[in-house]
Amino acid sequence: MSRAKLQGLGIDLPLYPTTSVGSFPKPDFLLKARADFARKKISRGALEKAERQATEFWIRKQEELGVDVLVDGEMYRSDMVAYFAEYLSGFEEGGLVRSYGNRYYHKPIITGEVRWEEPITVEWWKYARGLTSKPLKGMLTGPYTVMDWSFIEYYPDRRSACLALAKEIRKEVEALIEEGAKIIQIDEPATSVRPEELPVAIEAMHVVTDGLPAYFITHICYGAFENIYPDMLDLPVDNFDLEMSNSGLDMLKLFKQRRFTKDLSLGVVDVHTHVVEGEPVVEQRLREALEVLPKEAIWVDPDCGLKTRTVDEAIAKMQAVVTAAKALRKNSDE
Amino acid sequence: MELTLCNHSSYPRIGDDAEHQLLRRTLAQWDKGERTEEAVQAAQDRMTELALAEQAAAGLDLVTDGQIRWSDPISHLAAKLSGVRINGLLRFFDTNFYFRQPVVQDKPARTAPLLLDEFKFAREKSLRPVKVVLTGPYTLARHSIEENGGAGGFDRMLEAYTAALATEVAALAAAGATVIQVEEPALLKYPDDFPRLEQSLTALAMSKASAQLALVLYFGDPVPIYDHLQTLPVDLLGLDFTYSPGLIDRVASIGTARTLALGLVDGRNTRLEDPAALARQLEKLAHGADLKRAYLSPSCGLEYLPRDRARQKLRHLTAIRNTFLGSPA
Repeated sequence: MSRAKLQGLGIDLPLYPTTSVGSFPKPDFLLKARADFARKKISRGALEKAERQATEFWIRKQEELGVDVLVDGEMYRSDMVAYFAEYLSGFEEGGLVRSYGNRYYHKPIITGEVRWEEPITVEWWKYARGLTSKPLKGMLTGPYTVMDWSFIEYYPDRRSACLALAKEIRKEVEALIEEGAKIIQIDEPATSVRPEELPVAIEAMHVVTDGLPAYFITHICYGAFENIYPDMLDLPVDNFDLEMSNSGLDMLKLFKQRRFTKDLSLGVVDVHTHVVEGEPVVEQRLREALEVLPKEAIWVDPDCGLKTRTVDEAIAKMQAVVTAAKALRKNSDE
Repeated sequence: MELTLCNHSSYPRIGDDAEHQLLRRTLAQWDKGERTEEAVQAAQDRMTELALAEQAAAGLDLVTDGQIRWSDPISHLAAKLSGVRINGLLRFFDTNFYFRQPVVQDKPARTAPLLLDEFKFAREKSLRPVKVVLTGPYTLARHSIEENGGAGGFDRMLEAYTAALATEVAALAAAGATVIQVEEPALLKYPDDFPRLEQSLTALAMSKASAQLALVLYFGDPVPIYDHLQTLPVDLLGLDFTYSPGLIDRVASIGTARTLALGLVDGRNTRLEDPAALARQLEKLAHGADLKRAYLSPSCGLEYLPRDRARQKLRHLTAIRNTFLGSPA
């Protein structure tokens, strides 16, 4: 069904399309540029030049590796929520809070009515598209996650904050589509956090995607999926990009009990370990998924964004993804 | 009603200025092999001192070490036990904070102190009495997975965690800890497991000597089990009032057999509460439940807030107490 939708959009992908979840690690030269910019040693223009250079690096690298659906690598983002909060009005930048271990992010504070003032990611998408002829995903963070990962001071409750965000984020989706984006990923890693709020996440996703001509993916990770499955299939998207390796492919058990009805971007490498999985491990994970899902429905990628890995580790993990998918593809052809 | 101001448990181990980046920077360098374990410990010591000082400056009567050294509420303890290895990341309740999951391969056992050195350091450096905080056996067991039946099932795993932590409670009490807080938020997700928790807490209570034992619940509504909580062998009961609009009425109507720690100040949101509104709630509790004494604290650990807002929330406790004391009796 979704493959036909892709073809209708003019996108023809091989079996087991490979992609990545979105972020790649920032190369050292960009980390230095960001530090210099923070210390006011370089201009915003100089920082953007480094961000463009890093974006080109990752586009070239994905092409070299043979990835099928590319991302821009998010070289310009601080993190997935703070970046959008910076461009939407109604937010104030909050201080650092920890996400895990030694990782921290600036958690935004909603202090006023949220409003989309201008395109946020579109220029970066256009820049990256100009560097490749391969399909390129538009990448956004969804309204439920932006709401959940922000402090809410302005809105009276979480639902009203979420729906207000959804209305504004739709404008960014429309802007991406207007520029030619055909595959758009709406990251909603917070979806599984409060099962009782799944209807709010679904309602918000309808606001974002209904009636728009694109193939929609949503990325969800690190949660209690058993609490939201199969109801989460009501999210109006074509493809679920799920972290599977970190949890030992536990979700496949759920899919055996109740059929998974969408396309699945299957996380086959763990992004929170320095260890790079060998090809046999990745292939085995794919084969286990194939016992439960039709091959036409499976995309292959890492569990989550690779930004927490080193550049070398990220490349090696993407290599493992691509090699395993190609091997399986070849076997399917034989 | 006499109100003692206290921190809940954690405190941000980072801030936005350079001084507060010390631990993050040192750990990142250690991860690359550029710094030693000793350097990491020195950074943890320094950040702990800052957390203690900020709590004292905010006017608290009872402080914690801020759990600065904790990688997360689960693996910090579980990783120190034999029979346990630490696995991938999972979300901690409904927060956007992640813990590493313990994999129990054999019965967890305490082979060395877990928090003793951390407590001793904090007590030495603190201007105020220090409360020790540990994640309880039930919550540890609920966040663990068993590998190849290594623990002999959930109940055996819980027993083993309980035995390990009971030994730690005894060691902490012997070292002079006066308040030992056991956090069991998982109970609110599995209230039917109350008998299991009761059994586990009874074992801990037998080890506490003269220390006061506090049971603290958060991230859920305790109203359905509030009556049962009154029967537990603990001295203090800490409750999160932000998840339960009915909790104040429940406490006010039936009172309490335990000293309460009132988690009325939201530790999860930056919005500052109206002191007058909270003073009215305190008044309702004081009169309805005939409370003579209580602790006033945030609803949960403050690590979920940026440092400046965490500091504000602690200072706010004083403002709320002042408003309450100034309000008509």
